[in-house]
Amino acid sequence: MSDCEKTNYIGKSVQRVDVYEKATGKAKYFEDYQVQYRDLLHVKVLRSPHAHAKIVSIDASAAEALPGVATVVKGSDPDIAWADIPYASSYYGNPAKDEVIWAGQAVVAVAAESIEIAEQALELVKVVYEELPYVVDQREAFKADAVSVTSPELGIAAGYGGVQPEGPNVMGSYKLTHGDVEKAFAEADVIVEEEYQAGKKSTSQIECNGSIVEYHEGGGVTIITNGCGVHGVVKNHILTMYPQLSSNKVRVIQPVTGGSFGNRLFPLVEPLAVLMALRTKRTVSYVLTRKEMYTSSPSNWPVYTKLKLGAKKDGTIIAEKLELVEDAGAQIRGYFDGRLSSSGLMCVYNIPNVQCDSYAVRTNTMPCAPYRGLGCAESEWAMENLIDVLAEKLDMDPLEIRLKNILKKGETNPYGEKVTSIGLGRCLEAVADAINIDEPCQQDGGPWKYGKGIAAAGKQNTPLGRAEADCLVHSDGSIELLVSCDEQGMGVQTTLRQMAATEFQIDIEKVKVTRADTAITPYDNFGASSRTTYTTGNAVIIACQDAIDQLKEAAGRKVGLAKKQVTIKNGKAYFVGSNIESIDIADLYEPFSFFTQQTWGLLKGTPVRGRGVFCPAPAVEWFGPGHEDGRTPRMWNWYQYSAFGAEVAVNEETGQIKILKLMSTADTGNPINPKLVEGQIDGGVIMALGFSIMDHHMFQDGKMMNPNMSDYRLPTTLETPLQKNFMRAILPDPLPDGPFNAKGMAESIMIPVGPAIAAAIYQAIGVRPTEMPMTAERVLKLIKDKEASDAK
Amino acid sequence: MQNRANYIQVECEINGKAVDLLVSPDRTVVDVLRNELGLTGTKQGCDDGNCGACTILVDGKAAKSCSMLIGQARNKKITTIEGVSNGDVLHPMQQAFIDHFAIQCGFCTPGMIMTAIAILNENPNATEEDIREGLHGNLCRCTGYVKVVEAIEDARDKINAGGVN
Repeated sequence: MSDCEKTNYIGKSVQRVDVYEKATGKAKYFEDYQVQYRDLLHVKVLRSPHAHAKIVSIDASAAEALPGVATVVKGSDPDIAWADIPYASSYYGNPAKDEVIWAGQAVVAVAAESIEIAEQALELVKVVYEELPYVVDQREAFKADAVSVTSPELGIAAGYGGVQPEGPNVMGSYKLTHGDVEKAFAEADVIVEEEYQAGKKSTSQIECNGSIVEYHEGGGVTIITNGCGVHGVVKNHILTMYPQLSSNKVRVIQPVTGGSFGNRLFPLVEPLAVLMALRTKRTVSYVLTRKEMYTSSPSNWPVYTKLKLGAKKDGTIIAEKLELVEDAGAQIRGYFDGRLSSSGLMCVYNIPNVQCDSYAVRTNTMPCAPYRGLGCAESEWAMENLIDVLAEKLDMDPLEIRLKNILKKGETNPYGEKVTSIGLGRCLEAVADAINIDEPCQQDGGPWKYGKGIAAAGKQNTPLGRAEADCLVHSDGSIELLVSCDEQGMGVQTTLRQMAATEFQIDIEKVKVTRADTAITPYDNFGASSRTTYTTGNAVIIACQDAIDQLKEAAGRKVGLAKKQVTIKNGKAYFVGSNIESIDIADLYEPFSFFTQQTWGLLKGTPVRGRGVFCPAPAVEWFGPGHEDGRTPRMWNWYQYSAFGAEVAVNEETGQIKILKLMSTADTGNPINPKLVEGQIDGGVIMALGFSIMDHHMFQDGKMMNPNMSDYRLPTTLETPLQKNFMRAILPDPLPDGPFNAKGMAESIMIPVGPAIAAAIYQAIGVRPTEMPMTAERVLKLIKDKEASDAK
Repeated sequence: MQNRANYIQVECEINGKAVDLLVSPDRTVVDVLRNELGLTGTKQGCDDGNCGACTILVDGKAAKSCSMLIGQARNKKITTIEGVSNGDVLHPMQQAFIDHFAIQCGFCTPGMIMTAIAILNENPNATEEDIREGLHGNLCRCTGYVKVVEAIEDARDKINAGGVN
């Protein structure tokens, strides 16, 4: 193996940097820092029992008087900056002011010497509510004459996306017109149409959201948190909400952190904990309970989709009309407009005529936030199901119709973007092959019926701002990357290390990654939409190249050569055109004594610092002059693609579903670390199995009925197929502008799971689910309805 | 601040060391491990025994320490993740989790490893089905279970082949 091959770490399954500490229990997550603070205050929060109510009065005097209570926070307190953050009442976890708009919203918060005292104090608080009408069903909330989620005086935000509200709860809309959809439907040989619903679900990460806020004399805070985006989310929001804090007095540290899958992309606990630390001048810990994780931290946004497709006899889809509604939950203002969810319906197939009318609506349920896939698992649920209906009408098989209609490289999607990387065809063929889609399942005459199905998926990468990286070359030749990107288990510290070692052509053991701490590591927005590999990865490469360039210059000066005659690799500078072959990097740095510290050039103890800033091409606004049709040549950055195939058993007496065999394929671009990618596929598929057939929020009287892990059923080892029946493959199409041609991944793998299972259910028992999750109760009802209709 | 009159004395063995505690009887084992003894390797993800992150060994058997009151630890031999390795030498189960990429965010890992050790304590020849049955009380949201089961099977084989424990 040549030196160059040895130090090319791309595509190699290098071991994670953090596993030893995680396997031994030595890894310190934010809550593990509690034991360091002997004078910690603990926060507990009283929450609304009503989906919608006026707060008539709050009497917290007895709580305030209880020994051990340090402070009590109510929404009417003057130190909550309502004017600047009008949506703070719902989103960021500070107590409500005049009105509660979902069951679970904070009403009164207490910081006390112990959790027990804080809980005792909350029992002494008297709140008088006046209940108001509420709406939790998104289709009800969308109607023009719907019950309003908020009282009008709270301020209804104008529709985002430039469209005025069409009902009291419509928050925004995004519309796209591509071609002439009505004319195309008139020319179609076959038209299919159906309504689909994907439910409300929680990411249910095992580590509950929380933070510790340390107060510093002089009015500063250090926030140790498992929140995402130390700069882009936590620090930026805290500075906006508490203008008395100057930027140099707010430090945010993300220690070892559990996965959160989009759930922590808004600051949920930090604002209240900071407020209490500022008031009490003490260190404050605020950790949500599991119940609060369900009722008071965000869910996904459920999606209702009414979809219509028109095709020619040969299977070419020529028309698509969709009306889509995102349920954003209890938000007064927000950026939701249907654009994120509807993107799933415009990135997989080449359809020349599309009319998209998408909306976001508020409801009296916990506010939504991103959930792995940004609404595309919810919207593509409709597309993939309806394509199967269409295939049946056209007497085509599910693979053939998909291969015929998927976008190909170089084609233009309905947004008007040119497709630069798509590996979907191979993904589809591989899943169809793995489960032998053409070979029907054997039936055994018992109550279990067997079927197979496949589905396709795509997911855009949203341009979400800049990433920066610093690359330090220490004077012993070791490399340190300073990055603020979230590391919540996805392995980005390891993949960035692989990229840096490859850039420097150096042993990977010489590269260390320093994790997010706003006092040390430069700006990064946050880890969302699979952006980190792409955005932070590109920043790291730029930083490495900057550092290498500086080393070349310094080395060239040393031997009297131009920097273009210098190569940096193996920890050395190599020269062309000199009788000196090479110099160790470490020897470029001058040793120092008391008297030589002023020497120009590189100096021992002072690293070379390479800087990298990468900002994806800014999205062109999709409305306004020139974009009246909602189209633009640059809506998103790039797309990841996946396919999924499943063989399932359905019990026709109980409606229960078992996944017997599955195959997941992912076009990840060029994978940096295949084993890490496999782990993402496994975890994503199992998470998707859960929300496809098991887990969802259930409401009664406006309240979530199952806010615990007994009743909110998540998939375990018993719901997943045996090892030999759990198959996956990475089938990359390299991304031209990705770091080492990589894309981000881990979202598209979720999306086709539900529809493939639905197709298998149809093959097994002849019913087509339209609502996700496909719980046993729902499948049984479909079976009973079919029996009743067959009997007629 | 707290009334210490009703505190109870609990003698037990934790990771091979005798421990003598004087604590309020309403405290859970996970709370005492983490907040009194600083053994923060044991995690808490829920409070009703459903996530499995707080799994420890009590006399060699898996137990969810969020659902055990401290009095139940009296005279028991308790092992937490901190007591599994032999100095710098990892337990074969820890090594297998590392080798098989069975760790992502790692929050469920200590509980998973403790349950996995208990499964093999009970049945050194546990089959894949036995392992899945034994592990179903431990939730993981990042990694799924494929590489975890793979790791446990590998550890089982290595322990059985090499006589290590």
